[in-house]
Amino acid sequence: MGTITFENVSKTFSGQSEVRALDGINLAIGEGEFVALLGPSGCGKSTLLNLLAGFEKTTEGILLFDGKTVTRPGPDRGVVFQEAALFPWLNVWQNVIFGPQVQGVARADYESRARNLLKLVGLESFADALPVQLSGGMRQRVGIARVLAMSPKALLMDEPFGALDAQTRLSMQQLLLDVWQSLGTTVLFVTHDIDEAILLSDRICVMSARPGRIIRTIPITMPRPRSIASLTSAEFVAYKARIMSDMKVGAASH
Amino acid sequence: MSISTGPIASRQESSVSRLASSILSSVARRNLRQILLAIVLPVVVIALWQWEGNGGSLFGGVLPTPDRVWHAWKVWAFGASGLSLNPYSGTWLANLLFSAERVGKGFLLAIVVAVPVGLAIGWNRIASGSLDPTVQLLRPIPITAWLPFSIAVFGIRDMGAVFLIALGAFYPIVVNSAQGARDIERNLVRAAMMMGAGRWTILRRVVLPASLPSIFTGLRIGLGIAWTAVIVAEMVAVKSGLGYVLWDAYYVGRMDVVIADMATIGLLGLISDRVILLIEQWVLAWRRLQSFHS
Ligand SMILES: Nc1ncnc2c1ncn2[C@@H]1O[C@H](COP(=O)(O)OP(=O)(O)O)[C@@H](O)[C@H]1O
Ligand SMILES: [Mg+2]
Repeated sequence: MGTITFENVSKTFSGQSEVRALDGINLAIGEGEFVALLGPSGCGKSTLLNLLAGFEKTTEGILLFDGKTVTRPGPDRGVVFQEAALFPWLNVWQNVIFGPQVQGVARADYESRARNLLKLVGLESFADALPVQLSGGMRQRVGIARVLAMSPKALLMDEPFGALDAQTRLSMQQLLLDVWQSLGTTVLFVTHDIDEAILLSDRICVMSARPGRIIRTIPITMPRPRSIASLTSAEFVAYKARIMSDMKVGAASH
Repeated sequence: MSISTGPIASRQESSVSRLASSILSSVARRNLRQILLAIVLPVVVIALWQWEGNGGSLFGGVLPTPDRVWHAWKVWAFGASGLSLNPYSGTWLANLLFSAERVGKGFLLAIVVAVPVGLAIGWNRIASGSLDPTVQLLRPIPITAWLPFSIAVFGIRDMGAVFLIALGAFYPIVVNSAQGARDIERNLVRAAMMMGAGRWTILRRVVLPASLPSIFTGLRIGLGIAWTAVIVAEMVAVKSGLGYVLWDAYYVGRMDVVIADMATIGLLGLISDRVILLIEQWVLAWRRLQSFHS
């Protein structure tokens, strides 16, 4: 459940000038694993995620989710967008139940679950608020709650906390760790923040740009459960030093 | 969680009440200054017109003074019908309703056709390719040019007027609906697909609401054209309504009725536009909050 396989996947955007956004991507992610894609902007992180989400089509290679070729988006892969992408005309509650609703799930079958999810992300008293009345962090929590409402097998997150202030980001990272710890969903998490990648993931794939490639894979074996206190441990600092030098290599190689 | 939601909750409540009180106080201030400011020009024009025309009429006796227009209007609106020598006496409301009903029918017909067609053009490449060129080809033909066609096909009957009104209102609604659907934020559609929505659901639950601001722009322009169309149609293609009275009164030299008629049309146009605006503010409440906050 929730396994991901990229075999020699490439993506070329055609247009006036062709862009080879991804080149020979090989990546296997097991059930319940938390993997971060780390790299400078423009290296193809979003493209890789969009292929898996089914928003874009691969140019070459094999892309499997749970052993089946990815052909289109679906509720088994919950996507959390950077700007939340909530429906501005629906309130928090209506946004959260949108997924089960359009899939024709009976109200009785999603209502209590959705209530619990709102509580889990700390927004039970904001059910009637419109997205525009929420802060960026609260919007992102709604974005997380609405994908969890579909019980996805994997979470695909594209720099979900990138637009948040430092303190809000820390609390969101803690929230995500707690959620992941209790649900055990596979997570593919895109970020350009080294600290965030180390804190959250089991494994970091460092990418380089033009063409987008995975240049290093670094297992993070820091003990779990982790919290933002881990950010200052000696182990953490050692990982960070190593990854920073890896990323310099990536930047110098083109 | 390290962030408590308490202060945010109270901030949100107070921002709602702040919105309400700021709207109220601005309405109150507007009531005084804005209204005074707004009526200065009309009052000056009417006073000058009255003063210049006293002793008879303006422009060599062609134009009646405001008091005579006002008197004609009163007779037209409240006079006994059928009994007096004045054929217009007491027929104002009936003619107004004739015109309003035609506008209502034509405008509704336009909405029912133009919104789905516009959304389809903006949303679906096949619909766009097959419908948009024809719309663009027909659009430059003014509705006045359709008059002979309309009379030939529908005769001197209501249907002709309704057809012209619907046609005139159709274009701005279709163009703006298509624009709204075309400009939809890509990630909203992706989010809906990710949650398992099919194309039809996305059209209904994402594309339509996201396009509503632009659809309403089209509705307001379309309604203005609908009023133009009804007057043109009634002057030529039917024998009742404000447009018919306008032309008829001109022929028998009743310029007082002509001007009262013009004022009536202007007033109806204004009122119907305000009604659309009110509906828009109600339907798009989420958007008003958005522009208030940012
Ligand atoms: N739809 C597209 N058409 C053409 N080029 C694209 C498109 N999407 C992304 N690209 C290009 O692909 C490269 C990778 O983009 P992206 O995956 O967004 O990078 P990242 O998310 O790491 O910042 C960039 O050079 C970008 O300009
Ligand atoms: Mg990106």
